Amino acid sequence: MEDAKQKTKTHAEAKGFSVFYRQCEAVKRVDLAIPFGLVTAIIGPSGCGKSTFLRAINRMNDLIPGCHTDGELLFDGQNVYGGDVDTAVLRRRIGMVFQKPNPFPKSIYDNVAYGPRLHGNLSKAELDERVEESLVGAALWEEVKDRLNKNALGLSGGQAQRLCLARALAVRPEMLLMDEPTSALDPKATARIEELIIQLRGRYTIAVVTHNMQQAARVSDMTAFFYEGNLVEFAATDDLFTKPREKQTENYITGRFG
Amino acid sequence: MILSSGEQTRRKLLSLAGRSFLFAVTSAAALAVLAIIFFIARDALPFFRASGVGEFFFSKAWYPAHEPPQFGAAAIFAGSFLVTGAAVVLAVPPGIFAALCMSDILPFKVSQVLKPVIEMLAAIPSVVYGFFALTVVAPFLQDSGRWLPGNIEIVSGVNALTASVILGVMALPTIVSVSEDALQAAGRELREGSYALGATRAETLVNVVIPASMSGICSAVLLGIMRALGETMVVWMASGNAAQIPKPWYNLLQPVRTLTATIAGDMGEADQMTGSAHYHVLFAMGFCLLLFSFVCNLAGEWMVARQRKRLRGG
Amino acid sequence: MRMLTRKILDRAFTAGGYLAVALMTLFLLWVLVPIFVKGAGAYVFVGTVEYRRMMLGEFGRGNEQRVAAEWAEVQRAREPVYEAIAAFERELPALPVARRKELKPAFQAVREGVAVLLGPAPGKPLPALTRMIYGQTRWRQAQDKAANILFEETWDYSGNGSQKVHVPRQPLFEGTALAPVFPLLRKELRSLLRPRLTFYPRFLTDPSIDAHFFGGIGPEVLGTVYLALGAMLIAVPLGIVAAVYFQEYAREGPVLTFLRSCVNTLAGVPSVVFGLFGLAFFINTLHVSPGKSVLAGALTLALLVLPTVIRSSEEAIAAVPRAYKEGALALGAGQWRTVLTVILPAALPGILTGIVISMGRAAGETAPVVFTAAVSVGKWVTPSEVLSQPTPALSWNLYNLCTEHEAVEEIRHVQYGMAATLVLIVLALNLAAILIRARVAKRLKV
Repeated sequence: MEDAKQKTKTHAEAKGFSVFYRQCEAVKRVDLAIPFGLVTAIIGPSGCGKSTFLRAINRMNDLIPGCHTDGELLFDGQNVYGGDVDTAVLRRRIGMVFQKPNPFPKSIYDNVAYGPRLHGNLSKAELDERVEESLVGAALWEEVKDRLNKNALGLSGGQAQRLCLARALAVRPEMLLMDEPTSALDPKATARIEELIIQLRGRYTIAVVTHNMQQAARVSDMTAFFYEGNLVEFAATDDLFTKPREKQTENYITGRFG
Repeated sequence: MILSSGEQTRRKLLSLAGRSFLFAVTSAAALAVLAIIFFIARDALPFFRASGVGEFFFSKAWYPAHEPPQFGAAAIFAGSFLVTGAAVVLAVPPGIFAALCMSDILPFKVSQVLKPVIEMLAAIPSVVYGFFALTVVAPFLQDSGRWLPGNIEIVSGVNALTASVILGVMALPTIVSVSEDALQAAGRELREGSYALGATRAETLVNVVIPASMSGICSAVLLGIMRALGETMVVWMASGNAAQIPKPWYNLLQPVRTLTATIAGDMGEADQMTGSAHYHVLFAMGFCLLLFSFVCNLAGEWMVARQRKRLRGG
Repeated sequence: MRMLTRKILDRAFTAGGYLAVALMTLFLLWVLVPIFVKGAGAYVFVGTVEYRRMMLGEFGRGNEQRVAAEWAEVQRAREPVYEAIAAFERELPALPVARRKELKPAFQAVREGVAVLLGPAPGKPLPALTRMIYGQTRWRQAQDKAANILFEETWDYSGNGSQKVHVPRQPLFEGTALAPVFPLLRKELRSLLRPRLTFYPRFLTDPSIDAHFFGGIGPEVLGTVYLALGAMLIAVPLGIVAAVYFQEYAREGPVLTFLRSCVNTLAGVPSVVFGLFGLAFFINTLHVSPGKSVLAGALTLALLVLPTVIRSSEEAIAAVPRAYKEGALALGAGQWRTVLTVILPAALPGILTGIVISMGRAAGETAPVVFTAAVSVGKWVTPSEVLSQPTPALSWNLYNLCTEHEAVEEIRHVQYGMAATLVLIVLALNLAAILIRARVAKRLKV
């Protein structure tokens, strides 16, 4: 693991990056480099700014009134908050899966085809292919291939979350952000999502926020520990959980708080 | 218990009496609507029994003062539908755009400031709108005929268009506030899902948010239709009150007459106490209005229920 | 490229949203500004000496001596006008026939115009109608009337279509004894009428005289107050009881569903149907009064606002934190006591909001009171007559004055004054509701 980290290059990098909600600093001058093609977990107690940081990467925080940032956040070497960045393009390159499954009230097919339809003129056949590929990628194809035209709201929670993943994969992003993707799911559905994350590793750079330390340990290569808006420690997952350098990290992973 | 059994019985009885009293009063309030149906129907029936429905619905000859009187209300029904339809067509696009603007485009603070504007539009009494139509809009429209392409001569500013414009404005607050509630109810998660895929705001609203709140928007439109159809003063004052079907039927620059205006305008001439045929025909019109509003109401409730069911999944 | 199109569409969509909101706001201004600006003209305007004479004669207001002195001066100023008219009248029979034929109708128009402008000529018997006893009381209208004398309004058919033209009358009378009248009216109108800025706040409370030509809108305002208060007196207890029942007592079930949809349906009934029902039920069946009456109107309006009262009270009761109620019940208070001492007081501001808004609605409604309560004659209704007598009301009389009055154009200021007063009453009630709501929101936040 240690030399894997050294070999890989950085995909997204925060440099002295802060996020504010009006006056309140939710993420405080964070320096963090998310490596290319690996799974990076972000852990920490609730309200530590981990979700805020994740949502800053594809600028989802723009939708929240009064939210602004300071410092630099680079994606592929380009500042995400630069003047010439188009959020629509950025978000196509950085997909996102949310805490609560949020399929659109449309058919399963239309849900997956939603992104490709926005971004390019695909023919019907290409679109069909893309939908299948994405659903296969999210391990949902076998379950839904006979009812692609049924409303997606009829899916179970785990299926809906995998549909949301397929929907994100369908625009062929370079990076995937997952904001506590399993917190609303039962253990079995959780296991399937974790499996998927491991399968997708290598093809996409993945950043996953979780409050579940076992999950972080199971799926991630690197782990970042946030506490009260600060990045306390960032290390290879194995190192962080076995020999944390910081006292706060140790307290957290041994369950003294959080 | 510490209380004696007599005390307990007394308490129970009191509570029961209180509950019955509440139930009785509530029922009386709620059942008023049944009383309305009953009494309107009671006074409408003599007309239908005497003249049947054929002439009423299919003849355009409205001569209540002739001997014998003719009560063909087809033109009046047509007038009501024309004016209402035009009002809704005029009000729905800006209404939905305004609702979208308030729910998704404007900052929260600004849309809070705009709410009183909508409330004020809703609060202005209809007779004041009618007065405004008569003194401001009608002369304005009459003058503006010259500027229109083709130099149309608008004979009178009091016509179907004037009434429709004002009715549209009166329906607007209902449409905006009910649609806005529906749009809000679609939720942040859905919007984020779409934005996260790289959709622009317009794409998110058109492709995801509006379809998700379609039932609510439809019921907003239905409520708007009800408001326009049931409105009396504006059409009475500003539609011209000519019992005719415009030629061609979509010519809004001609005067028309509506059900509500006929009821309000003719009741003074009809014998209110003894009940002439003219009196009963006005109740027949009232009964039809009542039916329309029921249909709209039921359709609206059905849509709201469907929306709830759909969002719950299933 | 594709991104650009998407961006442009997005911008266009946003612009559409802004446009719709702007349109709505502009329309509100388009309605309110003329009504308030011209409505203010009923309360503040430039009045002439005729106005001050009218106020003294009809209402006994003003300083008698000062008005008399002013009147004497004005009469002196008017003498040349009347002399010229008298002189021309003497001169007329002596004119050649053709000239006489030409001048006679124009002269009559001038003479009548002067009577309208300045009131009946001195020495003439007083007319029966009050409006004709006095000249023009408002300077703006006086100027129009003067113009009617100076110019003849005819239609010019020479071009394509017809066009209104104003032909000066003065050249016609050049060289006759009437000629001096025209420059007088053009240049000396001020000394003939003595315009002065006038405040008339009692427009709100004065009765009207001679079909609203003079006076105020007092009886109409009073009628509106009767109707709105009466409606609330009936609707509020019913509404609150029903809301308490729905929120605190009713159990889910078909009966509740049915009652609820009844209330919803009641809210959708067109207002004119309420009027029909009021006529058929309260007057023709229950005979609450021999004919239209304030009582019948208030009952009808009460039904109309009932759904609003019920809904807003329900919302207010539902917004009371459960903890309040549970706290009271835990202390051993019965359900009744809890409702009366905890829930209703806590919900009061919310309930009040609904009541105030409903009151505005009741004050502004016209169609339901047309057949049940309203008459166009502006007569005071005393509190003892409300059970049996119909009343004028702002809403109905505004309709009446701007459509059925015999001189709609002459009394525009009264119509605007009524409209502005009605809107002001309704908006003030709504503003009160907004303020109450804001206070409630603040209290709940703390």
